[in-house]
Amino acid sequence: MRYDAIIIGGGHNGLTAAAYLARAGRKVLVLERRHVLGGAAVTEEVFPGFQFSVCSYVVSLLRPEIIRELDLPRHGLEILPLDGTFTPMPNGDYLWRVNDHARTRREIARHSRLDAEAYDEYGRAMVAMGRFVKPILGMQPPDPTSLSPSGLKQLLGLFRRFQQLPPQDQYNQVQLMTMSSVDFLDQWFETDVLKATMSASGIIGTFLGVRSPGTAYVLLHHYMGEIDGAFRSWGLARGGTGAISEAIASAARAAGVEIRTMAPVSTILVRGNTAEGIVLENGDEIRSNVVASSVDPRHTFQRFLDPDMLPDEFVEDIRRYKFRGSSAKVNLALDALPEFTALPGPGPHLRGAISISPSVDYMERAYDDAKYGRFSRRPYMDIVIPSLTDTTLAPAGKHVMSCFVQYAPYHLKDGTWDEQREAFGDTVIDTLAEYAPNIRSIIRHRQVVTPLDLEREWGLSEGNIFQGELTLEQLFFLRPAPGWARYRTPIDNLYMCGSATHPGGGIMGAPGRNAAMRILSDRTA
Amino acid sequence: MTTAIVIGGGHNGLVAAFYLAKAGVTPIVLEARDEIGGGAVTSEIHPGFRCPTLTHEVLLQQRIVRDMDLGRHGLELLQPAARVCSLSPSGPLVIYDSPDRTNQSVRAFSGKDADAFPAFEKAVERTASVLASVFEYVPPSITSPAGTDLWNLLKTARAFRSLGRRDAYRLLRWGPMPVADLMHEWFDHELLRATVAAPAVTGTMLGPRSAGSSLMLLMRDAHRQLAGGSPLRVKGGPGRATRALAAAARAAGVDIRTSTPVERILVRDNTIRGITAGGKTLEADVVFSTLDPKATFLRLIEPSELSPDFTGKIQNYRAAGTVAKVNLALASLPDVGCAPESLTGRIQIGPDLDYIERAFDHAKYGEFSERPWLELTIPSLIDDSLAPQGAHVASVYVHYAPRSLRSGDWTVARDALLDAVIAVLEGPAPGIRSQIVGAQVITPFDLEREHGLSGGHIFHGELALDQLFTMRPLLGHARYRTPIRGLYLCGAGTHPGGFMTGASGRLAASTALTASEI
Repeated sequence: MRYDAIIIGGGHNGLTAAAYLARAGRKVLVLERRHVLGGAAVTEEVFPGFQFSVCSYVVSLLRPEIIRELDLPRHGLEILPLDGTFTPMPNGDYLWRVNDHARTRREIARHSRLDAEAYDEYGRAMVAMGRFVKPILGMQPPDPTSLSPSGLKQLLGLFRRFQQLPPQDQYNQVQLMTMSSVDFLDQWFETDVLKATMSASGIIGTFLGVRSPGTAYVLLHHYMGEIDGAFRSWGLARGGTGAISEAIASAARAAGVEIRTMAPVSTILVRGNTAEGIVLENGDEIRSNVVASSVDPRHTFQRFLDPDMLPDEFVEDIRRYKFRGSSAKVNLALDALPEFTALPGPGPHLRGAISISPSVDYMERAYDDAKYGRFSRRPYMDIVIPSLTDTTLAPAGKHVMSCFVQYAPYHLKDGTWDEQREAFGDTVIDTLAEYAPNIRSIIRHRQVVTPLDLEREWGLSEGNIFQGELTLEQLFFLRPAPGWARYRTPIDNLYMCGSATHPGGGIMGAPGRNAAMRILSDRTA
Repeated sequence: MTTAIVIGGGHNGLVAAFYLAKAGVTPIVLEARDEIGGGAVTSEIHPGFRCPTLTHEVLLQQRIVRDMDLGRHGLELLQPAARVCSLSPSGPLVIYDSPDRTNQSVRAFSGKDADAFPAFEKAVERTASVLASVFEYVPPSITSPAGTDLWNLLKTARAFRSLGRRDAYRLLRWGPMPVADLMHEWFDHELLRATVAAPAVTGTMLGPRSAGSSLMLLMRDAHRQLAGGSPLRVKGGPGRATRALAAAARAAGVDIRTSTPVERILVRDNTIRGITAGGKTLEADVVFSTLDPKATFLRLIEPSELSPDFTGKIQNYRAAGTVAKVNLALASLPDVGCAPESLTGRIQIGPDLDYIERAFDHAKYGEFSERPWLELTIPSLIDDSLAPQGAHVASVYVHYAPRSLRSGDWTVARDALLDAVIAVLEGPAPGIRSQIVGAQVITPFDLEREHGLSGGHIFHGELALDQLFTMRPLLGHARYRTPIRGLYLCGAGTHPGGFMTGASGRLAASTALTASEI
């Protein structure tokens, strides 16, 4: 039997692509290597009774059109609010921003009156910027070197929209695209801890520091969710992030998609220059008209294909596509809640994100360690305790705590990640203990997910959570390779549909949806 | 008859003045210091020893050299054999003008790199040629591009197109990339990586791992192309070059007055009225300021004459200097273990990317580098008028030295900085300490106070993506005009930026002239 399309990888992008193709009447098979679906958007019971969003842990960017079109709420998706960001400081003070604008203003005014005023202005500016950028996410990136009429039209369209922005917004937009988060924020704010916490979003998944140009752009992502109005900027999925994948999988199945887990692919079948299906590791051949790979380009083009089949230039471009994972996860099963010295008690500040980013210098020093090949002695952390919001995740009275930790460079100068795992875990706990001294006594279990684990277990090359760095030279028409940003590949009927394509990583679903649209338009043309 | 005043007798001011004079608007150039030249001067640092005070590079555009007939006014071009000599514990790597000699030198470190180097140079030259086309015109208006704007952009689009797909994408990719990544893509040996990468972070608040640093490399090459060759080939260095510029300007009728610091730019009803200097008012219909944007708008103009929004943006214009200059008088040529001929170009001490990056780390926290990386020239090797027989001068750029020190201040830190520089020099040039007969230390604080550079920034503001082309100094104000009618900017704080090209002066003058605004 022959499928219309085989999707390699049952992560959220693969499943999204599959759902869209099936809804257009195509016969689709999804192949997942692991025993669970979801890729890095997965919930697993790591310790008995404790459910963890092992890798990706919050949702902010899932495209509202995907939620709507695939009717995800009917398939079980429920997004719970994750309200606020709490940043404890070493001096015993803290910064606690919440969705309630008036309260946040008052809180910021406690640190700086000027900043409180600037915060309003900043919010307005970012919403305007987000409105400009949003349509680009759903775009098939043009090829700027081809000067084809359609590509030119797209580029001109972008320029026209830019031209129509008010001058102040043009100014902001240009700055956002080019500046470092700290330089950008310096223009608005004076409070160090505020700038540090805000700038953190600019470095996630990159091998850059908060002072490196090009990191400002990601600040926008925090405001995009709000524009859509569908949900708050940050949320948690009930049942963990795996529930998002499950909901998309359910929508895909309802549309007729066949999904197999524990079905690792070994090779993509190519005849002439056309993909014809895949071979599983167990030797089974499965034929299809189209193959779409949601795994990263290193797997797709260096493992599933013989590079000799590909143009040299392309092979070269993929070879130097930068992964360089820089982050790790530490998942903790807790007997009780942490007590922060800065704000004791189990207050609502524990229900949002907890950010260990007390100063810009702290962030920058964390990066300095990574530059020279070691994990940060005092890392930046983004922490959530989802069991406070979703009680199904842990036994009564107990909690799960997810710590996203940066920097944890994939390439260590000394030793391997397997050797460094516990030392790294200890560093994370030591850092936490500086703000919440009771942490050591309440840890029941600890799981350390190193960049090497992300590579081995989740197939993320070099442990990069976004399937490749989100830096300017790897975005838009350059993602993942110059000239191959439109989901096609040099092999006919082989497509890419994962985070390594425009608009990149995060639980967004846009690459999967965009790729499905590309496949459908190619196949009907 | 239009009266024009040019504030600042640096190279851009002299170039602007020349073009204005040629068009019949004979300006007065007012220079605060007692000699013309601005950042491009040669001065006596020790009895009998003369050294380029600040910049030691000249990249005057060929068309300016031609238009001003600088050859006739004393400009002499040389052909130094070496471009850069990079000193390291494992010996010197020299990039010569001659590809064969370069190949030989690089091959001693890595055969693979020796093979890759010519291809890299070619790729840089090709991609940079598109930037060179951009450096020759006034940045377009974004809101209402005029015919010339579209024509210029079309020319650039054509240059971009003619690169072919490979190089076109290179330009797009390289622009935002950290130069360290670019080096890893091309070369294996750390010494070569550091040697090629260092110019990309010169004078900026960037380390080799900072995104956007590769663009600086391309920009430098574009300027080199427009200058028609090495930045070190002007005989006598920058001081001689500005003297030639001044001579040409005077010959065109320009009135140059030194020791005349401008105290105020006078504005009424949003229109220029003139300036005051030495307590005296000079009326003018047009004023060109070669000073940096911050100095021009925040120091010389009454704040009430500018909108708060504009003033705020100028305040946010990034111009935090990161460089100090040390000029040394040397009793004899330091022994670095290579032939004097190899030292006729730039000399670099900063043997690997991490070394440079670590030097940069200090700057982020408001400290000067413990072990700075150095870029120096020994101009007396090709110009024996600079030092007594057998003696030499060294012009040393020291990275990094941030303008604002977190603890202490530059009046105190100056000696410690000199010590750090000498300690680094002692590595490849053992015994240099005892050869030093005189030293001049110019900290970023001095650059600001004595040379009028806001923040001590040698390029009149960071050369970064957000402050280039249509955004230099600000989006909407990148066409040399300012919110004040009749006031123009023509210094390095405008497109296409620093490096002593004269381009800003030429383009500013042509903007004012072609728009028949004067």
